This record gives sequence, C-alpha cells and structure tokens, in this order.
Amino acid sequence: MTNSINEIEHSQVILVSGSNTVKTHPQVARRIFDAVDSGASLIVIDPRRSPLARHADVHLSIRSGSDIPLLNGMMRVILDENLADDAFVEMRTENYHALRDMLYRLDMDEIVALTGVSLDKISRAAKLYARAQNSVVCYCLGITQHICGTDNVQAIANLAMLTGNVEKENTGVDPLRGQNNVQGACDMGALPGVFPGYQSVADPEVRHRFERAWQVSLPKTAGLTVTEMTHAASDNPIKGMFVMGENPMLSDPALGLVRESFANLEFLAVADIFLSETAAVADVVFPAATFAEKEGTFTNTERRVQLVRQAIAPVGESRSDLDIITALSEKLGYPMPYASAAEVMEEIALLTPIYAGIFYDRLAPWGLQWPCFDREHGGTPFLHKYNFARGKGRFVPTSHKPPSEPTDAEYPFVLITGRSYHQYHTGTMSRKTPVFNRECPEGLLEIHPLDAKTYNIRAREMVRLSSRRGSIKVKVTLTKTVNPGSLFTTFHFAEAAVNELTVAARDPQAKCPELKVCAAKIEKLET
Amino acid sequence: MRNILTTCVYCGCGCGLYLHEENGRVVGASPSKNHPVSRSNLCVKGWHAHEFIHDSSRLTQPLIRKNGVLTSSGWDEALTYTAKAFRKIIDKTEGTGIGVLASAKCTNEENYLIQKLARAVFKTNNVDHCARL
Amino acid sequence: MKTISKVLKKDHLKSLLRKLAKDRQLVAPVRNSYGDTLFTEIEALDGVEIDLDNQAQSSLKSFLFPQQQVLFEYSTDQGSAPVYKAIDSDGPTVFFGLRSCDLAAILYMDVIFLKEVKDPYYRQKRENNILISIGCNEPFSNCFCRQTKSGPFMEYGFDLQLTDLGDRFFVETGRAQGEEIIQQWAHFFSPASKEDEKAQYQMRLEAQGNFKRQVLVDLAIRKLKDDLVPEEVWSKLSSRCQDCGGCAYICPTCTCFTINDRKISTDSGERIRTWDACTFAGFTTMAGGHNPVDMKQNRMKRRFMHKLYYDVKSHNRTSCVGCGRCVDMCFGGVDIIKFINMVGQGEI
Repeated sequence: MTNSINEIEHSQVILVSGSNTVKTHPQVARRIFDAVDSGASLIVIDPRRSPLARHADVHLSIRSGSDIPLLNGMMRVILDENLADDAFVEMRTENYHALRDMLYRLDMDEIVALTGVSLDKISRAAKLYARAQNSVVCYCLGITQHICGTDNVQAIANLAMLTGNVEKENTGVDPLRGQNNVQGACDMGALPGVFPGYQSVADPEVRHRFERAWQVSLPKTAGLTVTEMTHAASDNPIKGMFVMGENPMLSDPALGLVRESFANLEFLAVADIFLSETAAVADVVFPAATFAEKEGTFTNTERRVQLVRQAIAPVGESRSDLDIITALSEKLGYPMPYASAAEVMEEIALLTPIYAGIFYDRLAPWGLQWPCFDREHGGTPFLHKYNFARGKGRFVPTSHKPPSEPTDAEYPFVLITGRSYHQYHTGTMSRKTPVFNRECPEGLLEIHPLDAKTYNIRAREMVRLSSRRGSIKVKVTLTKTVNPGSLFTTFHFAEAAVNELTVAARDPQAKCPELKVCAAKIEKLET
Repeated sequence: MRNILTTCVYCGCGCGLYLHEENGRVVGASPSKNHPVSRSNLCVKGWHAHEFIHDSSRLTQPLIRKNGVLTSSGWDEALTYTAKAFRKIIDKTEGTGIGVLASAKCTNEENYLIQKLARAVFKTNNVDHCARL
Repeated sequence: MKTISKVLKKDHLKSLLRKLAKDRQLVAPVRNSYGDTLFTEIEALDGVEIDLDNQAQSSLKSFLFPQQQVLFEYSTDQGSAPVYKAIDSDGPTVFFGLRSCDLAAILYMDVIFLKEVKDPYYRQKRENNILISIGCNEPFSNCFCRQTKSGPFMEYGFDLQLTDLGDRFFVETGRAQGEEIIQQWAHFFSPASKEDEKAQYQMRLEAQGNFKRQVLVDLAIRKLKDDLVPEEVWSKLSSRCQDCGGCAYICPTCTCFTINDRKISTDSGERIRTWDACTFAGFTTMAGGHNPVDMKQNRMKRRFMHKLYYDVKSHNRTSCVGCGRCVDMCFGGVDIIKFINMVGQGEI
C-alpha cells in the first residue's frame, strides 16, 4: 500500500477493485465503513455483488477480465469532462500524450459491450473519483490474477496519476496484500529476480555487495517463478525442491500439472506445521514451529514491520524455520551462526536500504513502516511524497486483453475463484479450528438462481463442475451475488480442489496466474 | 496467565493481538486496544488465531520417506539426508536444478535466510513464494 | 447488613494489596509497556503500574468463564470404560479495581451459571474470590451504565467498594469478606469522617452528570417490548455486521459457549469449552443443515432483544451493563449504542 490503513477513513472517495474486502481484509473494510459514515463515497468494481458492493454508491458489476476497458472508459470520461489534474500531470508524470491519444481513440460503445456496464454508471464513477480532493484505490487479486494483471495495475496507476490522486496523505493506490507476511517475503527477496529490498540480481554492483557480505559468489541471472517451477511437469529443469510453509499442491492453479511436476522431482524437502498435501509427497518433512513459538517480524500490507513474540516453546520436537534453515545450511558447509532473529535483522538492515533503520529495539510498540533509511528515520506512513520511486510517474497506455480461455457452447460459465471469511488459503491452519469448520465446513459453488433453474439444480445439491483440465464434485448454493453466467467458489478445500480446473495461463510480466477466469460447465449428478 | 503481544498470522492487515499463555499452552487470543490496526478488535480469525497451535495433528518429529512411507526420524538424520540429496543435485546441475519456495506465512528473518540459502548455498535464484496466488 | 465506612490513604493501597496477595492470587488492571490496560495476574507488585485511570480493555469475564477451558481429559484402553480426569481447581483470588459495570456483569453471570443449573466450572472459579471495586467519578467515553442501572457506583455485590477522594479512598463494605478485611487489616484504615461521607456523596452525584453520551436505553426497551422496531432497522444493522464475534467476546455478560472434543492421542482426548457468539450462523444451524435463525438480521435482532428485552423480562435487568466496550470496536459501526439511539430517536 502507498498509504496506511488508517488513512483510508479520511478519504473522500474510495474505489475498491477486485477485492472482497469485508471477507479478506476486515480491518480495511472497517476503515471504509468509517469513511462512508463520515460522508465518503464508495465505488466498487467487482463482477460479484460482494458485501461491500451492497454499500457502494456505484457498483460496477463488470465481466470478469474487463478491468482495462472499464478503467480506460473512466479516464475517457475524465478527459471529456475536463476533470484531469493538469498541473499534476505536467509536474509529476511523463508520456501523457500516449495515454491521451489512446483514450481519444476509444469507442465507448465497445467499452460498454466488453464490460457489461452502462455508460451512465461508468460516467458516474469517473466523476465521483476525479472530483474528490483525496481518494484511494484499494485493489487485490481480482486485479492481478489475470493474464493482463500487470496492465490492469498500470491502468489503475494511469487513472490515479491522471487525477493527481497519489503522493498525498489519505490519497493513493493501495494493493491489499493477502497473507500476513507476503509483503515481507517480497521485501526479503524471496523472489527470483531481486535481492532483499527489490535490488536486482542482475545488477553487478548490488550483487557484489551481497557477495562481499555473504562471502560467496552468487548466480547472475533471475530464477524461475513458482508456477514456472510447479507447472513444468515432465520437462521440469528442477530436480530438487525445498518448500517452507507453502502448499502448492492445493494453492497453485492447474493442479494436474503441479502433481506431475512434483512426481518428477528427485528430491523434495518440506518444512511445515502440519502434513499438508505437499508435505505428504515429500521425501523429508521438517516439523516447524508456529508463530506463537518463535521470535521474528512480519510486515503488513501498509509496510509496517512488526514484532512476532514467542509465547510458548516449540511444540514437540518442532523447530522454527529459522533454526531449520541455519541447521541445513551448516550441513551443506555454509554455517549461519545467528544467535537470534534480531541478529538476522541487523544483517538485513545492513544490506537493504529500505530496511536500513529497522532494528528490534526500535520496533516497540507498533513497529516501523518502510522505507526507513537509518536509525533516526521514523518510517514512512505514505509513499511517493514529492516523487515516485523512479522519478516521474510514467503513463503507459493499456488495452483490453481477453481472458486466456473464453467461454463457449461446451463450457459456458465463467468460473471465478477466491476466499471465504472463515477459512484461509489452503486451510492448513483454519481447518484445525472448530468454529471455522462449523461456519464454513465445505466449499460451496455460488450460482445464480436463474442458471440453477436452467439446469434444474436445487440449493445444497452436489453437482459436477468441470473445465478442460479436470472436474470436481461440489455443493451448490444459489445466490444473486454472482451474475448469471458466472460461478464462484473457494480454493480452501482439498476434497473439492477447484485448482484442478483453473488455467495455467499467467501474466507474462508478473507471472501471476489467471485464477479469476476460466471456462467451466456444470452437470447435474445422477442420483 | 501471561499476555504476550504479537502480530496476527492470518491476513495482511497485521493486527496486534495478545496471546494468552497458561502452563505452556496458548489458551486464548484478544486484540490490543492501542495498536494502530487492531484498535480494540479482531476479525473472527484473529479471535481464534490460537486454536490450531495445539491441534493433535501438528508435526512434532522429522519424517523421512523410507520404502515409500514417511517414517519418524531424528533431526540429525533428516538434516544430513537432506543436505546429501541437495548436494548431489547442486553438483549435477550447478544449482539450476534446485527450486526453493519461501513463505508468506513465515517471518522476514526466515525469508531472508531461505533466499540466502538458495542464492549462496544452492547457487540459484529459483526462489519464490505464493505472492501471486 | 449495615455497611461500614472507612478511609484508606492512597499511599497504603499497594501495601494492603500486598497483604491480601499473600495467600491469594491478585488480579488488577495493569497498564503495560504498550499502553494497553489489561486485567492481569500480578506476580510481583513492584514495578507494576496498576491503572485506575483507564478502562481495562476487557472485563473479568475471561477469569471466571475463560475463552477456552479444558473441562476434563479422558482416556480409554480398548474395551474398557473411559477414564476421566478432572481439571484442578483454582485457588482463592482477589480481584481489585473492577468497575461497577464489571461487577454488575459478574452478578449477572452468577444468575446464568449458578442460579438454576449450577455450572461446576464457573463455581469453582467464582468461589473464594474477593471483589474490590472502584466507582467511576469520571465515566469513560462510551459509558452508559447509569442508563442500564449498573453504575457508576454500586449498592451491593462488592466486598469493598472504593471511591476516589483525591489523596484517599472512601471504603464501603458490602459482603462479609469485606468486613473481614477491614477487621484483619484494621491499622490500614481510619474511620470515615462526616466530611468524607459528604465528599463521597458529592462525587457520586457529580459522576451521574459526567456521562459523555446520551443513550436512551429505557426508550429502546419500551419500543422492543411493544414490538415497534421496524424490520428495516435490523436489516440495516445486519448488512454492516462483519461476523467478527468481537461484541460477544468482549461483552462482560455474553455467556454463549460451544463444546468440542480435542484428540490428544489415539486413545485420549480432552473436552474443551470455548466462547461462541449467537450472531454466528453455525450457532443455530442444525445437523441437517436447517437454521431456524437463518438470516443475519434475525440473529442480530435476537442478540439485541436478549441484551435489552428478554433479560428484563426474565431477570428484571438488562444484560447490557453499559460498559461501552463493544462500541468503538465494531467493524461495521453498528454497535449497541447505534442501535439504541436509532430506535430511541426514531432515526428510521
């Protein structure tokens, strides 16, 4: 997020796109409701009528995968209504002409056809957003999990820059990070192309700094992303894997390919707290300690680095992942003698400019928000004050890319996947919690009552849900949350693993898989 | 009963919560009032964030696959076995044959160390996590 | 029983607590290094900041009715009957610094857990404890205990009730144990003068005028009783509810629970009682999938009806004690004050 969570409640207009905020980021939704209660307007872009969408001033119920035409349409309205922030565009951005030329060539009728949203609604949303003195855009995986995810994000950036809605308090573009420490894992360089702090592995100067600090030579070229590793199947260049606390055998799309890739490994080691679907196929499993049994830090979606404090000793013979990694490294002839997690953070601060001022003794009571450049620096509640990271903000015109798998006569439904409130990701933790299993015991397939009628399906009936890649049995719930022609289900449940069905296609830049669209069909089961 | 302030392990909001410890067990979780995110409340997952910790299916011993079956082992055996297996692949593929999945659930320090392990020891940049999922 | 009035100098409070804690567990509101005030089991009084200026962020509920409590362990050998192992009792405890609302809440829980069906787990924790409460001269920002008739001072239920008179506490005895304390540690107390009594009365009087929010509880109760609350109110409130359960968990009088068995090994387990919330769909869902309270708005209605009407009908008091803890915490901004005022002022 460029802003802090608490800034949202002071915004005049909040645009939420591709986020079921009430269910997945409750504290953010709480700020949105607070803002609405103090008079803010709410725009929601979501193919589903999510709980937040029901409270929106404008709900743009787009066809899944048509974000770019919608956002372009909004920008065109902003130009036509003369609502762009010309001074901001002049002072802080570049390549505006390219965007403007693209927008003036748009056919608004085509946009209405692609998105399924009326021109009136697009226009109302655009004017609301552009007229606010401060506004935030919150987006989530509904934007990024498309083959055009990077372009979707760029389109949001274009919209925000065009109206000057960045670089101020209570104003900005806020990707909501899903997991407790997904922000931190990225910050720490658990990515194939960058060292900690987003420093490129291809940059010789950066690499030298790490080589000196770690006293080894380091590989020069970027590595493979998750799905490149888990989808290579029999052509897999990967022969051995070390998986720490993840469960690709349930979370990754196109599970058939994932299974084949894992089956072709010569060696798999997994560290986890439970015997996950992935751990179950491993050659070695290390029992890991939970968050209550170790020290460390998590970085939340607003870049706040916060302490994790130990409450109890590790259960049984389990050990923290930190201890597992250092012990394994020592066995491989590269000792990592750290006395504590705090000492590891000292090394991080030394090598990572955005974390350079992060030290454990500074993290009480409520942590620090990076970038934090030195011991005197108080952290950064909102980003891009005075300037974007790259200097000027660059407009990059984007255009519609249809989803990788269009619906057809055989597979007429658009299948969208996501999360529920009471379960979490692949359920390794949440499914061990009785009240969550009571509230949300199984995956349900959301279908519009009209479609259910066509297929003669009643509520709570089991159906067969199939795509070109596989099929599962799943229980149906009838709801107008989804539009006719759309289906929605969650990926928490191994016994109805929707990722058997999802597509392997991914965004060429971000390599983010298209989990939000695939073509599917349903069949009534014979009883 | 002791109250230990920590950070929630579920979503990216990062609530400050207290874990309640009694006789070596975590028996409850509750919000911090002054924490800038939690501000006196947690979602239902936060209020129950302690419950999975003592589930009986927790892994408590290292396991090694022997004759196709995961079998309990000691730490030293499991670590030595793993190190040998990785060493073989590193030597054969110059590191390109190893893939590492870090975790959005683990701490910064653990993620830092695992990418260090990947790059410095396995000699590969094939390190990623589920940010895209 | 006639109350005895005494005066305790503030300088001697910690010394008195130290005496009381010699053969009892001491629990008091402690402000920790993060600025949060929590009721805390105090091991050593020195170096602890007992905080009587801020409201403790939760009540004493979790000490008497824990968030998660092992009721018993069981084990079985094949073929033989299961063997049960009871869980050890707690020792005597002195709860210091609870407010009138917290005290009223304990009296309410006594009715729920001890009046008809005597809950042994609650009784075991409630037995042998001493309650030393403190009246509120200055109610906190969301307090409305006067409207729920559970504060700012109480007339009964405490062993000792303190009133802050600046450099000293005015001390009233309630139950017999309070008198015993005063007798046993007589040298800590001096008799209350006429001036002390006047000052204490003045404090009480002023406290009643110091509430920051007007909350029309009586009016809401009347409208609920006469069924004058339109369905719209419930649907509007429930559309904002995010199902966190926080209001029920933080509420000092919410006593819903659920029971689960947890496996320890293949032939042993433990039975655990945990807090539950009547606003959760699963709370009333039956085995076949049918839920008699199927819609969120009906569940919310039931919660507020319970707090403000059903309990008035059956126990002659609201089970809301006006502590205000559930107010600012609500994710959807649809807390009980919002509801009471919506109904009371006919906002809808």
